[in-house]
Amino acid sequence: MNDPYSVLGVSPSASDDEVKKAYRDLARKYHPDNYHDNPLADLASEKMKEINEAYDAITKGRENGGSYGGSAYQSQGYQYQQSYSGPRSGASSGSAAYGTIRSLINQNQLDQAMAMLSTIQNHDAEWNYLMGSIYWRRGLMDEAARYFRTAATMQPGNIEYRNAVQYMNSGGQAYRPANVRSSMSQSDMCTVCNSLICADCCCEMMGGDLIPCC
Amino acid sequence: MYGYVRPEKGELKVREYETFRGVYCGLCHTLKKRYGPLLRFAVNYDLTFLAMLLAGPGPVTTCPKRCPYHPLRTAQCPETSEAMDAAADYTVILSYWKLRDGAEDKPFAAGLGYRLLAWLMTGAYRKAVLLRPEFASVTETELAALGELERQSCPGVDPPADRFARILAAAGEGAEGSDRRRVLRELLYHLGRVVYILDAADDLPEDMKTGAYNPLRYRFSPENGKLSPEDEKELRLSLQHSHNSISAAFALLDDTPYTSILTNILYIGLPAVTQAVFSGEWRASARKRKERSGL
Repeated sequence: MNDPYSVLGVSPSASDDEVKKAYRDLARKYHPDNYHDNPLADLASEKMKEINEAYDAITKGRENGGSYGGSAYQSQGYQYQQSYSGPRSGASSGSAAYGTIRSLINQNQLDQAMAMLSTIQNHDAEWNYLMGSIYWRRGLMDEAARYFRTAATMQPGNIEYRNAVQYMNSGGQAYRPANVRSSMSQSDMCTVCNSLICADCCCEMMGGDLIPCC
Repeated sequence: MYGYVRPEKGELKVREYETFRGVYCGLCHTLKKRYGPLLRFAVNYDLTFLAMLLAGPGPVTTCPKRCPYHPLRTAQCPETSEAMDAAADYTVILSYWKLRDGAEDKPFAAGLGYRLLAWLMTGAYRKAVLLRPEFASVTETELAALGELERQSCPGVDPPADRFARILAAAGEGAEGSDRRRVLRELLYHLGRVVYILDAADDLPEDMKTGAYNPLRYRFSPENGKLSPEDEKELRLSLQHSHNSISAAFALLDDTPYTSILTNILYIGLPAVTQAVFSGEWRASARKRKERSGL
């Protein structure tokens, strides 16, 4: 195993808090939510395992060495769950072929999955959903969205299909480095109120008043 | 190529800006050294990005070089490296096809300039094909498939975008290590997809006027060269997912001396350009940019 400190990108003299912060940043970076049905999810999960191990090694070493007050944080390490990636096999009813296609998709064997799917004549909701899953993983996201929507319309009660449409519409999730300022100006109601209160304070300093009641 | 992949200058540190300029100038010098002075015109931001992305994690040694067009300016250019050479070769191949494509899109007289340039580039192109046969053959095959989709007025955005994206993804093939290759392919694929869709959105008003093929025209139903707010929202959501995939792949790459600049390009530059394309600012400033870079 690599030097746990270099895995976390901190020096061996870093304080417990610094180690914890570095670990949290990396865990945020490789979080499974950022790799939702992503073809690189396996690499991210490897990275996650590596940093979990490194963090465990450091905290355990420090507990035994006794030079720092050890923390029992390691037990809370972020874990990748096997079931999160990809459509769950056998989650809904369907022919045996659909089960095979689902497991092919989970193994990223998209060409075979596509070939099998195209031999099926009956284009039901499940067919559309799996088609969407294949397109999604290939990166054809506009096509994927259309198939997901068709599946959800054909079988409105199916939670899996609905979730796929919802995920599409939500815009998904991505890691953003801490030092990158958001380029969009995000103004919500809080910002509006804060600005008003600030303006009021400024006015009062100058002898005037913007919000008479406070 | 298109210039969509660029840093947000105001957000760069001064030393990052100097480094970026060094790579840009270095790519220009590499083009000249490998393909002769005419090919200097092909240097562009997108391929500068590629040169930085393909660079390995080791430290970069630089040497000062003078710009023939701005003789008073020197830039600290990186020494010759495989990443720079590869970026230069890809630049030649992509520029050649862009000229050929430009010549075919335009009426005969207007296309003459493109044809002449493409003809002048033939020698350089042949050399680049010998150096990067896989990339050249992927480019040729995918562009042919893309042309076929255009002729059929393909009703989806993704089928043509996929063809274009595969070309960029092929630029990651030369990297060392199978994991790194996978990550680069994924990143470049989605970058290619974003570039293709942005270009289509940018060209939409023009294409609606001239009747040229534009994938958005058949996928959505734009009026007066504009997408309806719902359609635009849907398209931008789809782009957002590609941005996410780019971030996910980028996070898996090891740090290099260029990481902070690449972070700027992907997290600030690209969203800003996307915003500018959809608001129409990009089109409005295109003429100005052309005048400025029209050396």
